[in-house]
This record gives sequence, structure tokens and C-alpha cells, in this order.
Amino acid sequence: MRAASIVVLIAVALPFLLGQFWAYQLGLYALYAVAAVGVGLCWGQAGFLPLGQALFFGLAAYLSGLAFVAFADTPIIAVLILPFAAVAAGLLAYLIGILVFRRSGESGAYFSMITLALVLLAFQIATSWNSVTGGFNGLKGIPGLPGLDDISDVYYVSAVILLAVLAFAGWLYNAPIGVLWRALAQNERRLQLFGFDTNQLKAVAFGISGLMAGIGGAIYAPQQGIVTPQVIGFGLSADLVIWAAVGGRASLFGPVIGTLLVGSLTAQLRDSLPFWEVLMALFFIAIVLVFPHGIAGLAEPLLRRFPPRKRKQTAIVTPGDEAARPPAKLALHDVSVHVGEVTILDKLSVDFEQAGIFCVIGPNGAGKTSMFNAVSGELGAASGSIEFGGAKTSGLAPHRVSALGVARKLQIPSVFAGLSIADNLSVALWSGRAGKLALLDPRLRRWTSPMLNELQSRYPFLAAGARKAAELSHGEQQILELAMALLTEPRVLLLDEPCAGLSPEETAAVMALIRWAAQRLGGAIIIIEHDMSLVKELAQIVYVLHNGALLAKGSVAAIRADPAVRAVYVGGEK
Amino acid sequence: MDPLIVTQAINVLYGVSTLAVLALGLAVIFGLLGVLNIAHGEFVMIGAYCAYVTQAGGWPYLAALPLTLAVCAILGLAVEWIMIRPLYRRPFDTLVATWGLSLLLRKIAEAIFGLGYQSVNIPLPGTVELLGTEYPIYRLLLIAISLGVVGALIVWYGQSRTGSRIRAMVSNPELAQAQGISVRWLAALTFVTGTCLAGLGGVMIAPLVPVQPFMGLDYVLRAFFVLIVGGLGSVAGLLSGATAIGGVDSVISAATNAANGYFAVLVLAILFLWLRPRGIVARG
Repeated sequence: MRAASIVVLIAVALPFLLGQFWAYQLGLYALYAVAAVGVGLCWGQAGFLPLGQALFFGLAAYLSGLAFVAFADTPIIAVLILPFAAVAAGLLAYLIGILVFRRSGESGAYFSMITLALVLLAFQIATSWNSVTGGFNGLKGIPGLPGLDDISDVYYVSAVILLAVLAFAGWLYNAPIGVLWRALAQNERRLQLFGFDTNQLKAVAFGISGLMAGIGGAIYAPQQGIVTPQVIGFGLSADLVIWAAVGGRASLFGPVIGTLLVGSLTAQLRDSLPFWEVLMALFFIAIVLVFPHGIAGLAEPLLRRFPPRKRKQTAIVTPGDEAARPPAKLALHDVSVHVGEVTILDKLSVDFEQAGIFCVIGPNGAGKTSMFNAVSGELGAASGSIEFGGAKTSGLAPHRVSALGVARKLQIPSVFAGLSIADNLSVALWSGRAGKLALLDPRLRRWTSPMLNELQSRYPFLAAGARKAAELSHGEQQILELAMALLTEPRVLLLDEPCAGLSPEETAAVMALIRWAAQRLGGAIIIIEHDMSLVKELAQIVYVLHNGALLAKGSVAAIRADPAVRAVYVGGEK
Repeated sequence: MDPLIVTQAINVLYGVSTLAVLALGLAVIFGLLGVLNIAHGEFVMIGAYCAYVTQAGGWPYLAALPLTLAVCAILGLAVEWIMIRPLYRRPFDTLVATWGLSLLLRKIAEAIFGLGYQSVNIPLPGTVELLGTEYPIYRLLLIAISLGVVGALIVWYGQSRTGSRIRAMVSNPELAQAQGISVRWLAALTFVTGTCLAGLGGVMIAPLVPVQPFMGLDYVLRAFFVLIVGGLGSVAGLLSGATAIGGVDSVISAATNAANGYFAVLVLAILFLWLRPRGIVARG
């Protein structure tokens, strides 16, 4: 609260300190800053870069400009229409997000390029559609907001809007959805495997950023009295990205600092220093290459000297654990998976009992991990079906499979490295328990569960909440990921070499945890394991895969005696 | 045959073949190095400005070629060294960095030449008669050169020693390095090949388009859409992508207006992104 009151105080005092001219400039740049906060949300939080954000700023500016011109005599109606202009921009952004993110690309390049193309298209339409937009010269003679006579009044409107948007963004960043956005930027696959629809999360982030740009644009039209194609063009889109980067895209205030500082400096220096913009471009590249936290990053050591007062927060027990889901059987029937010409799973049929510890072994390339990928919905099966608890799961997206109670631990420890241990554990607790709207409720960050308490007493490092997951050792990361998988209280848990790369002590700890989990969860735990000594200790039933099909199944002793298995391992026939 | 149809048909052929050359450099860098160079269009712009400077200085048009290749090669080497090499395997960061580079190059052009349009005279004016219609000779020449450039690059990549080393680098950089191939230099060479191809494209089209600092944006987007639609990693993909994008754009623009043509290209690219994300000709 202390920081917020200082910011408000500065905002109120600025016009008195700087005078009318700067009040006017800041009134304009505060609107751009609103849009830049949206760029920071997409880029600094969710990890994708919109290159055409002026599309939403400009669209809302044109819509609101048209409304103010049409209702010049009754401006109050135009004021009532104004929010709809911003919402329309937000909806358009959400729609574009849904369309583009539907096919999750390997990188964000596709999204960025399409937003760039869209803003060029919008500019073309704005300049050529004379009858509506006024063409190249723009929409002129837009009446101002009623009741504002003074330049400082205009400034205060912008400042209030900016502060409101900042408060909204700050709340989102602090809510579970903010944690999920940052998790998404770190490790999208892991988040999908926790049952979150990452495409939807990205589209929502983009929609909100579009809404923010729309809010800026909707006020811009009556404030400036003219809307030209420049506000829907590539230039403003690029500026928003630069401002967000220079100020510090990952922080709440960074994009605002960048916009107010760089934006107003540029307006002053553009004409007197011809190479000013060249310098800014160089500065931007330097920021991207070596200093991703921008100006806000400079302030960080300073802020660390004034840590926020810690409030004692009571933990909240997660809802819904009492009615634990009954265990279920996992079965694959004739599942075939091909990648290119290569057959990875060859009519694999295998079924697992609903409770117990099962080990899957087989030589490299036998299809063990691919079997897991097919079960979790990441690899599409060309034929055959996968059933879980009697319901068909093949063809479902990974987040839907996860929602049924299938949890996974990946071979290479896969946690959200840049997030704190507490946030990592929270994401797992929300998996399958938090409804969509609940993701806006910051109280969810105080969730805990009996299972979490038990895990924390077993492994005290899990209680060191503020530490980043990246700072943990390899073994601790393995245990963190396993703990996260357990916290979802799955009906079936798929573990891919959980002891790989661990010391003997750590291996013993993980084995004990697995045994404890089998008791505690009462479901099936399926483990891919190479180390026969571990298999011998853990497995009730061993499954041997070879060339994408099931070769044998039985007790450890029976498998060891099986001549076909021996032939594969000793290297008789390949 | 109706002369109008013949003219339109050659126009489409012209659009497709120049687009193939303009996309070629982007495809080389994206396909072989996995780097999406958003500043690709600005190298096209540099080529066009080199043509303008050559002509304004009273030199023969062909002198623009060595000038462009020198500028694009030096710039390409510097860029690869400073901002691409530290970011290999971080595709998102390269995207942002090359976007910053595109901004920088545009602002430099703006500071030197101003925002206005420059025009470059056609070095070979005049028309020839072709299938009952008059067609500008320079455009016909460009069609031939475009096909020649694409063909030459295929042969070089497939036949030369350097080509086979690049193929080795792409399939397994560590192994190639262990075989004594300098992966670092090959990657730089590949990057420079891409930037020089872009500059060459710029010299070719300079007389036919307005030369201005922002011209590159349009080309990098079109080139990118060619790669989305055609698919990466093969010449067949490049040509089919150029045909689809160039064809749709020319036909719809000619039938209605340029904005619709652009919109159609965008819709086509998004459709491919969903339905065939690896393009018409998918690699392995």
C-alpha cells in the first residue's frame, strides 16, 4: 500500500511541478503507457511478443472517434459508448489469440509475425477506407470529453485511467492466473501436463492486453480531437514494444516508466537530433541482448533495501480432497504411433491394474517414453485406442487427459525454473482443483493440502517457499517435480526414470517416496526404469517393451527367466 | 489468346518468381540455422538503396551488384557475430533481436535518405512482343534471373563441398565440428548467404517499386508466409509456397484491390498454420 500511495501522490503533483506543456504531453503518453502495460503482460509475463498492438489502440480510437462525431450534440451518449470501443478491441484480440494459438507453434514466431501482418493490413484499410476513417488525413474535429476545460483536467483523466489499469494488472500478476502466465513462459509443456489449457491462457492474456490498448485508444480520440492512420500503424506498435522493453517488460511499472521517459524524450529530441531514433534502436538491441530487465531492473537493488512488510497469511486447505476419485484401470488397445516413416508403437496392447507399482522396461528405442506420450495425449495414435477408467482418452488434448487424473513426471527434471518453490507447488495444487474464475482469486496462493504438509515434513527444502526452483540441485529438482505430480493426487502416476542421475542416498529417498505415494494415493504408479535392482525392489508386475510392442509381462522372477526377454537384452535377435 | 490474359499470366509468373528469390534468403537462414531473421526485409531495402545510390552517382546499374553484396556481406557478418551467434537455440530471443535490428536499419535509412520515396530508373526500358502482347523487357529479364538464382543455389547446395559441409552441420553440428568442419564459420557463411540473397532481390526489384525505409516490412511478411505455406527445407516447398502466396495475391489484387489481396494472403497463411503447419511440402 505504501508504494501505491507514493505513486498516486506523484501523479497528483506532476502538473504542478512540470507545468502545462508537460501535463499535456504526459496526458498523451499516459494513454500510450496503458497500452504498453498490455505489451508487458504478454511479453514479460506470458512470454509471447505482440508486434502489432497498435491494431487495438487504433481500432478503439477510431470507434470512439466515430461515436463522438456521431453524437456531437449529446456527448454523454458517446461517453457511454466509449467502454464498448475498448471492449471491442479486447474481444478482437481474444479472437485472434484463439485462432492463432489454436495450433501451438514450436515458438512464438508465428504469432508475432501474424500480429505484425494484421497491423499493416489495418493501416492499409484505415488509409484507403475514406468514407469512414477519413483516409490518410484521418478523422478530424472529434469533440473532447464533456466537462474538461483545462489541460490539467485532461491529464488527470489519463492519470486516473493509467492508475486503474495498473491496479488491475497488479492484481492479475498477483493472482493465480499471473503465476500460470509466468509458468507458461517458462515451460509450456509442463503446464499442459498439469491440466491447464495453455492456448486458452495465452488467448486470455492477449485479450486483456488488447483491452488495455483499447482503453488507451478509446480515450485518445476525444483527448486529441483527431485520429489518423498513424495510431493503427506499425510505428506505434514498434514504439510500444520498445517502451516496454526499455522500461522493463517483466515488472508492473516498467512499461509505464519506459513510455513516459523514452516516449516524451523522443517527442522532444526527434527533430533536433536526427540520430536519436537510431540510438534508441541500438539501445533496444542492447537491452534484449544483455539487460532484459530494463530500467526497472536498475531500481531492483534499491527496492531490495526496503523489503515489503510481511503480513502473516493463514493457509487455506484445498477443497475437494475428501471425495477422492476412485482408482481406475489404464489400458491400451492396438495403439500404433508413427513419426514420419518410423513406426514407434506397433499395435501396442497393454493394460495396468488400478492399484500397485508397475515397471516398464525395454531396450533403448523400445517405445517406453512414447507410450507415456501417447497416454498423456502428446503423441497422436494413428490407430487403436487408449482407455482410462472405461472412458476413451485417445484423441484428447494433454490438458484434458490430465484432468481425468493422469499425472506425469518427465525424464529430465521439468519444473518452472524461474518460479519460486512455493509457486511451483501452488501450480500443482491448482491442477484439477481451481475453476477458471478462481484463477483470479489471489487467496488461492495460500492453498495447502495435507499431502503437501506431509511432503514438506519429509523434505524440508520444499518449505523454503521464496527460493527459485532453478537454485535447487538436480536431485532436489527431481523430488520437487515428483512432489508436484503427487500433489495433483492422481489416479495413475507415470514416472519416467525418476532416479536418473541421482546419488545412492537420493535414490533411496525417491524409492521411499514412491512406496509412500503408492500407499497414500491408492492408485497405479507406472515407472519406466532401466536399473534392474530398482525394478526388483519396486515392481509388482514388470512389462517388457520391444520394438513398440509388448514382449512379456509378469513377476520379476518370471521376466528374468523368460528366454525371449533374455534374447533381447543379451542381444540375440534385434 | 486474349492479350489481357497473357499479360496477367506473365504478371503472375513475375510475381511468383521474384517472390521466390525474396523468400530464398529467409528460407536459407530459417531452414538451415533455425533463425527467423525479421530484418530480412531491411536487407532487401539495403539492396534497393544501393541501386538508388549507384544510379544517382552516375554508375552503370550492374555496379549496384558488387556494392550490395559487399554491404550485405559485411553487415551480415557483423550481425551474425554480435547478435545471432550468442543466441543460437534461443529462437524467441533471436526473433526479438532481429526485430530490433530491422528497426535499427530502418532508422538508419531514414536518417540518411529521409522518409520520402526514391525512384530508380529501369535500366532496360522498352517492351518486347510476346504472344500477341507487349511486355516490359526488364520484367521478363527478372523472371529469367530469378529462376537462374534459385537454380544456381540448388546446384551449389547439392553439389559443392561447402554445400555438403552445411548439410553435415545442419543434421549434426557436434559431429560436424568433430570432423574438423568449422561450424562457426559455416553458420556465418550461411547467414551471409541469406543476407546477400536479400540484397540481390532488392537490387532486382528497385526500379519497379518505390524505394523507402519501410519497404522491407512487406517483403519479410510475404517471404515468411511463403515459408509457412510451402514448408521449410526444400526447393519444392519454396516454389509451391511462392506460387500459392504470389498467385493468390496477384489474382485477388488484380480482381479487387491490394488490401483484399493482402487479406487473402493472411487468411491463407493462418489456414495453413492450423491445417498443415508444416506446409505443402513437409520435410521428413
